[in-house]
Amino acid sequence: MATPTRVAANQLRRAFAQATVPRSSRSSHSVGLVAYPALKLSENMTTAHKLCAFHSTPSQRPTAHPLCAQKRSYSSRPSEAEHLHHVRTKVTLATLRKLYKRREPITVMTAHDFPTGTLVDKAGIDMTLVGDSLAMVALGYTSTSEITLDEMLHHCRAVARGTRSSFLVADMPFGTYETSPEQAVANAVRIIKEGKAEAVKLEGGRELAPTIARLTKVGIPVLGHIGLTPQRQASLGGYKVQGKTVAKAMALLEDALALQEAGCYGIVLEAVPEPVARHVTNMLSVPTIGIGAGVGCSGQVLVQQDMLGLYGRVPKFCKTYRNLADEIVGALKEYSADVKSGAFPAEEHCYPMPQEELVKFLRTVGQEEAAKVAMEGHRHKVEQKPVAEVAMA
Amino acid sequence: MSASAARFATQVRGMLSRTPRSASSGFIACTLRIPQQQQQQQVSAVCVSMQPTVMRSYSTRPAEADHQHVRPKVTLATLRKLYKRREPITVMTAHDFPTGTLVDKAGIDMTLVGDSLAMVALGYTSTSDITLDEMLHHCRAVARGTRSSFLVADLPFGTYETNPDQAVNNAVRMMKEGKAEAVKLEGGKEMAPTISRLTKVGIPVLGHIGLTPQRQASLGGYKVQGKTVTKAKAMIEDALALQQAGCYAVVLEAVPEPVARHITNTLSIPTIGIGAGAGCSGQVLVQQDMLGLYGRVPRFCKTYRSLADEIVGALREYSADVKTGAFPAEEHCYPMPQDELERFMRSISEEKQMVERKNHATGHA
Repeated sequence: MATPTRVAANQLRRAFAQATVPRSSRSSHSVGLVAYPALKLSENMTTAHKLCAFHSTPSQRPTAHPLCAQKRSYSSRPSEAEHLHHVRTKVTLATLRKLYKRREPITVMTAHDFPTGTLVDKAGIDMTLVGDSLAMVALGYTSTSEITLDEMLHHCRAVARGTRSSFLVADMPFGTYETSPEQAVANAVRIIKEGKAEAVKLEGGRELAPTIARLTKVGIPVLGHIGLTPQRQASLGGYKVQGKTVAKAMALLEDALALQEAGCYGIVLEAVPEPVARHVTNMLSVPTIGIGAGVGCSGQVLVQQDMLGLYGRVPKFCKTYRNLADEIVGALKEYSADVKSGAFPAEEHCYPMPQEELVKFLRTVGQEEAAKVAMEGHRHKVEQKPVAEVAMA
Repeated sequence: MSASAARFATQVRGMLSRTPRSASSGFIACTLRIPQQQQQQQVSAVCVSMQPTVMRSYSTRPAEADHQHVRPKVTLATLRKLYKRREPITVMTAHDFPTGTLVDKAGIDMTLVGDSLAMVALGYTSTSDITLDEMLHHCRAVARGTRSSFLVADLPFGTYETNPDQAVNNAVRMMKEGKAEAVKLEGGKEMAPTISRLTKVGIPVLGHIGLTPQRQASLGGYKVQGKTVTKAKAMIEDALALQQAGCYAVVLEAVPEPVARHITNTLSIPTIGIGAGAGCSGQVLVQQDMLGLYGRVPRFCKTYRSLADEIVGALREYSADVKTGAFPAEEHCYPMPQDELERFMRSISEEKQMVERKNHATGHA
């Protein structure tokens, strides 16, 4: 590889390495940073344009293609950070505090992998939650309690790779924090370090206050969760709305205050009647994030698959914004029909072969007729329209 | 929960976990919701209805198997039948439970848990970054959603190249722990001995030649393969070697159409093309690409939807709804029994008055 090429390659690699640290304070100054993937450059590459996949041959692609406006590139090539012309400033706890103070509702959405996390971030959602709901909606387990910490870490990492500005919080799965504060600290540290989350969420009321106090004392931000706590659904007698009696409502309020006292920066209220949730919200000085808890909370959260209509059955409190399960099955059926009928792939989906090689090849394998046709056809094509460029050098 | 109800619930759960790949048509799944309160003694069984009405239920409740017609399980024999009668074989990638479920629902013949998920699902910069444990994790999730489609999974980079023993060990893990029915691995004639070993011990193997992404560095990048006569002939030899070694089919990736067509005609096992033209026995695409989820789309991929835009649009609508207070609306909330609500509001105002009185008193202290 030529020296200038190697130097440039190293610069790119460094630039990309810097670009993949989204959550340090300096990222707020990194507006306009352009990140290129660290390409695996082989010694055989001589053309400089291969350094930058972003500007490589896609621009030289044939314009006759109906989808020519899209960038065409190899799917197993890493996705490139688009030109960050307007990356919003990183959402931090201070940002959430500001929103809360000026009574602007906080938006929260779940994600479970790289694409879902990327899209939530792109949509400008304030907080991304890697919820253990992924146990069921992404992994097909029969209960959220089945997911292990290692599995949560795996998914959290994937979401983190796609998250740049949104504040990232991850659930501590069932069994990782109930035994003792020490256990909770050890596992929360793993979620922050290995999972690359910025905060953790765990379920429980005042009985967890000592544990949460330990976490917040060592600098781990904690999002509380009371009301219907799915990890405990068995002991709650099922997935039932909580806090429907005065006694239960008051207990909920005490739980919320205990969590606030223990240092929670926010509290999720799940499946709670609206007046109760509103009252709890008014009594606290930290934000409440509601799900099935009415509009009186400081913010809202939903499970992404539910609101996109991906999962089939939708809970009462979830508004479906799309019906993607049907969309996707429809698209897959169209693909299937295209393949069965031979409509796909069409010519624009194929790679051409240099004409001489093609003719030689057809002759070599004993297809004289086809070779003749190829020669004629090529001449015909040359006369009619520009020959499609080869995909990659 | 009563003892009999608990037993029934366990049975249902057992049935659900055993369903993945049996021909279980007409299977009805019910979940029992038995409230602990004494007031509600009746068992409300939630049965999946025949009509496609939207069922409202708690999202963290397990997905229920729908009992609509389940097509017969696609096996190697099915694929052989399709091949013999020259019906193109459809293949699609999946990487988790929902993506696998939808591929199965759409009637796709073969589901591939491809190591492309390293990039499109996990955001790694290369398919070579994914480990076997990660592949097993995703394969299991896809398997939970797959009932009829034939399930094949990629052996990731580094798990089969060292020697045939290593390949056998890891392929066995993929079948046992990953619940796959076959494995795919990249390589031509140099892989024939390894593939022979696998097929001899009963592990079906899907070959893969042409542009092999795990080797893109050594190929000098993601370039179309077999464009010269020499390379094309080498590819034919590779394909024949793989057939000889017992592959049930071979994936041809990024190969000019005439070459792929010739290879297909030379072999007596199916070829599955991707960027290899319509002359193959079947086609495969990466789901995220054809749904327009991943952003940049390869030349050979037809985008059937533009889901990235759809989803960002939907999320933005949600965001706007939350910011304006339009969501949640009343229908999204849980009611409280009227008498409890009144008592609650009264006790709140009483408390408020108490607090005000206290402040007033201390203020004047």
